[in-house]
Amino acid sequence: MYRAQQHALTLPAANDTGAVPGHKRGTGFAFDLDGTITRAELLPMIASELGLEAEMRLLTELTMSGMIPFEDSFRLRFAILRSAGLDRIQSIVSEVEFDPDIEQFIRENRDRCFVVTGNLDLWIAPLVERLGCRFYTSTATTDKDGWVTGLDTVMRKNVAGLELKDEFDRLVAIGDGFNDVPLFDVADIGIAFTGLHSAPDALVSVSNYVALDGKSLCRLLNTL
Amino acid sequence: MPSVKHAVIAAAGLGSRLGHGKPKCLVEIEGVKIIKHLLSLLKDVEDVRVIVGFEEKAVISAIRAIRPDVLVVRNPGFRSTTTLHSYELGGRYIKGDCLFMDGDMLVEPESFAAFLASCEPGVAQLGITKTKTRDAVFLTREDGLAVSFRRDDPTEYEWANIAWLPVDYFADIGNTAVYEHLRQFLPIRTHEVIAYEIDSEQDLALARDNLHYFNLQALAG
Repeated sequence: MYRAQQHALTLPAANDTGAVPGHKRGTGFAFDLDGTITRAELLPMIASELGLEAEMRLLTELTMSGMIPFEDSFRLRFAILRSAGLDRIQSIVSEVEFDPDIEQFIRENRDRCFVVTGNLDLWIAPLVERLGCRFYTSTATTDKDGWVTGLDTVMRKNVAGLELKDEFDRLVAIGDGFNDVPLFDVADIGIAFTGLHSAPDALVSVSNYVALDGKSLCRLLNTL
Repeated sequence: MPSVKHAVIAAAGLGSRLGHGKPKCLVEIEGVKIIKHLLSLLKDVEDVRVIVGFEEKAVISAIRAIRPDVLVVRNPGFRSTTTLHSYELGGRYIKGDCLFMDGDMLVEPESFAAFLASCEPGVAQLGITKTKTRDAVFLTREDGLAVSFRRDDPTEYEWANIAWLPVDYFADIGNTAVYEHLRQFLPIRTHEVIAYEIDSEQDLALARDNLHYFNLQALAG
């Protein structure tokens, strides 16, 4: 079940100066994380470090092609990876490379850029600091010692998108995968990003633009 | 500093008159896809946007292999709208002027470069070419300015479907042909280019007879 306040992993308020209750701002940008901002898909990267590459690849292929709903797939992927220690996962995640143009755009517009990802808050925590913008993520439950005990909420991107629509006059969505379709559905402008791999036809079919690399993507974003 | 920072290529149409069963921009002449030729003409333009519709996946793959910093703009309504709609979609959010051209022609590179060099901010300009067929948009000119368009009674020059225009010319469009929409902005400055539009098999044959203009061998392979 969706609980808004738990979907948003937010930075300390001092860094999040943009939102003013009751006032809509101009244009907001909602970015997918894996394969859009990052130059590698995080879960396969973690799996490969843990020797679970084949299992994860199969699951990723089935998910990207729309054979398995994102939510079920994420639960399965979580089940595969939960055995790994949080420290280990975070240290793998923190090494991931960003698309340099997208990273720069987010840094320059961090009060109106948002990451909307199905990934788990605890796993990707190191990236929040690196990008310095607000994240919407799936959330985990932990025990009193901070160990991950289970999944609390699985991201439904249209919900995060609708929240951002309340904050902005216009929402621009940027993503590369099947699970971005619901985000594009609520956004005013959808940009399928194919920098890492081609985007699924379903996503392209609901998009206004297809950006083939970070350079042309950010050139477009700077005109919006 | 060159004036032309933005260019839009309309490549969404079906190309039914040519009848090759694929978008015209993917038709190969001397082993070179038309889109590759056009993108090479625009190599010095920073922001190039290609409007796709029919067989968009194939067009996107071709663009990715040629120049991945091209932005792809989708026109899902390509079957029921005209090129004017593609131009509007391509120019949307751009400020100032933009070069607009169709994705189904071969142009002699030097004359195209001269056209680009002659573009000035805020001054609309049409690319015109010596009339080649009866199926074109012909212009009458006075003092180098296009003053009218017509489809019948050919004149010396036809519009080459290349235009340097303020983007706000497309702020309010109907579902008409581009030249019909542009009538309200006449007179417009003109600049001659050597261009061959590929609408039909006859056009294709004519372009093949004049291959020496296009320097395609430099792009082959």
